Amino acid sequence: MRRKTSKVALNLILLVLGIVTVYPFVWMLSSSFKQNKEIMALQQYLLPQQFITSNYVNMNAHFNFLRFFVNSLFVTIVVTIAVAYTSTLCGFVLSKYKFKGRNLLFGFVLSTMMLPWCVTIIPKYSMIQSFGWMDSYKALIIPALFSGFGIFNMKQHITTLPDEILEAARIDGANEFFIFHRIVLPMAKNGISSIAIFQFLWTWEDFLWPYLVINSQEKQLLAVGLKMFNGQYSTDYGALFAATAISIIPVLLIYLFFQKQFIAGIAASAVKG
Amino acid sequence: MKKKLLAAMAAASLAVSGLAATNVYAADEPFGDTIKYDPSAEINNGEDITVELWEWGSDDLFQSIIDGYTEIHPNVTIKLVNNPWEDYWTKLPLSLDGENGPALFNVHNSYHENLINYMAPLDIPVEDLEADFTGVEAHVIDGKVYYTDYGMMTGTVYYNKAMWEEAGLTEADIPKTWDEFREVAKKLTIKDGDYLVQAGLSFNDDFHQNYLLGLNYQLGENLFLEDGKTPNVTSDAMKQVMQMLVDMYEVDGVGSKDFGEKCADTFGQGMAAMVIQWGHYYNTLNTTWSDIDFGVFEIPTFDGEPYAYNRYNGESTFGINKNAPEDQQAVAQDFVKYFLANDDAQVAFNLAMSTFPAKKSLSSDERILANPSLSVLAEHIDHYIWPGPMPSTVETSLKTAGQDIFFNGVDIDTALESAQENMIRDMKNSSFQSVENLYAYAK
Repeated sequence: MRRKTSKVALNLILLVLGIVTVYPFVWMLSSSFKQNKEIMALQQYLLPQQFITSNYVNMNAHFNFLRFFVNSLFVTIVVTIAVAYTSTLCGFVLSKYKFKGRNLLFGFVLSTMMLPWCVTIIPKYSMIQSFGWMDSYKALIIPALFSGFGIFNMKQHITTLPDEILEAARIDGANEFFIFHRIVLPMAKNGISSIAIFQFLWTWEDFLWPYLVINSQEKQLLAVGLKMFNGQYSTDYGALFAATAISIIPVLLIYLFFQKQFIAGIAASAVKG
Repeated sequence: MKKKLLAAMAAASLAVSGLAATNVYAADEPFGDTIKYDPSAEINNGEDITVELWEWGSDDLFQSIIDGYTEIHPNVTIKLVNNPWEDYWTKLPLSLDGENGPALFNVHNSYHENLINYMAPLDIPVEDLEADFTGVEAHVIDGKVYYTDYGMMTGTVYYNKAMWEEAGLTEADIPKTWDEFREVAKKLTIKDGDYLVQAGLSFNDDFHQNYLLGLNYQLGENLFLEDGKTPNVTSDAMKQVMQMLVDMYEVDGVGSKDFGEKCADTFGQGMAAMVIQWGHYYNTLNTTWSDIDFGVFEIPTFDGEPYAYNRYNGESTFGINKNAPEDQQAVAQDFVKYFLANDDAQVAFNLAMSTFPAKKSLSSDERILANPSLSVLAEHIDHYIWPGPMPSTVETSLKTAGQDIFFNGVDIDTALESAQENMIRDMKNSSFQSVENLYAYAK
């Protein structure tokens, strides 16, 4: 009986927390069908009093939404795949190979996570400028190819894979390339999924770096476009909410599809240090 | 509602038609007042060239003037790059520091210190600029002008016409003095016991911008001392203005610090009958708060004969990147000249921003006077003063002072002294120099 009561109480707490977490999203979604004056009115209602779709229809008035969306999708997918691959590769080397300076190298990787991004952004900007990569996706993709967080996470994850499997493959004549691609990668799919989800989210939402290095409207990303709704004196909230509602669809889909692997991956990488 | 929408549509079409008319200048005839633009002059020897123009906010407006210019010079391509307002000020200086920055960029004078070192002076003689535009002298640095104002923005009183009529007020009741204003505000206030139902006036979150940094001039006191650097916010004039604000809420009871977070929204929500806002609010009312039937009148004065009616701030002409290649700079110089000489572009930009034209010949332009927030300024526009591109601490420190007075029970003298100390500390390394001494009626 006592156990049942605490279970109900726990579920109630979780329900309240769930509502608190989801409510702003529902409010934003609902407000994307309201006029600005209703969004800013003193008397607030969750559902639109006057339902309009013009915020969605006129989304392109501020920028070419579809273009920005596709650009973001392209850059995010490329960076996510690249980071997932390089993180797994580096994680494999750092966890399964024994060589001099391995811990030092790993410490160096960890140290990159400890530097605040605002410290590196100016030198990074100057480097990109001197390489002549401004206004090009090279400036977005190449500096993002390696992730300290990804390498750390994958090292932790791959450490949990039994050495015996890799040894058996070597005895059977498998080379390192084969072992990595045919054994390690499939066995690390939970860890890869969690890295991929994190990286997808970060790249999709990243605003400042794409804004600084991309000038052409036809190459610009969605996160930058969303900022265009904030004017000097006012904000077009209706259009902003409509664009935001659509912009989070890829993130939701990614999370829905990889939810199981994500949780398993996070749990696995936390098991062993 | 319909009337408001029609008015907004009319204003928008006026702005666009004004710009569409820029194409009229695609002829060979030189145009302009003192600053003449000759469309027949070849640009870049007729060879193709591309320059970038960075701006924030108003794509259509900028694109229209670009279209007018490129129609005259088909060999020139001007690539418009739109930016979000806040982050523009991070990206622009970084870009101007390198070789690939935009040749042309939109300027806001509040970022003067961050941008001026990257700007090339205009190729137009200062005396020509002064002949055509108001306030140029304040922009002269070592005999050169890097940018000037195309429009002047200041505060006016917006009132809710329906509330005005319900209170039994007519056009004849429009107040000229602050005493009259306070009486009108009392009539517009509705209370249910002690509970405020409708504020006669709201200045929440905005008192520093629209009262403290402007009404001091009405009492003959500048914002800065004679050295042009030391803030003067502990003056008797400032204390009198602050006391009036406190009295309006606490003695007259026409509003409350707790009645709405921002006065601009409170007015739009139909909870306040009057609000003082700068020109941009006219556009906000026509777009966001289109249900409000509003009127506009000029800011009241203490005695009818103010030293200056209020402070204004200029909307700036484009900046030219001194680090851009020479051929691009030449195009940029030509484009700015085209903009300054082109009356229709000037009208369109001023209507879009709800600023009073700095171009002297346009002060009685009927398209400008059709905008009520501008027409009320026309009579005394020469009695508005610009203190220069003040560092942001002047605004933020006075805002804090007001908040301390209203919310933390700090007395006026202490709060203003604290603001003064704060400003002096923050402005220690600033190159700011007030230009109040250049006001036409400066004492």
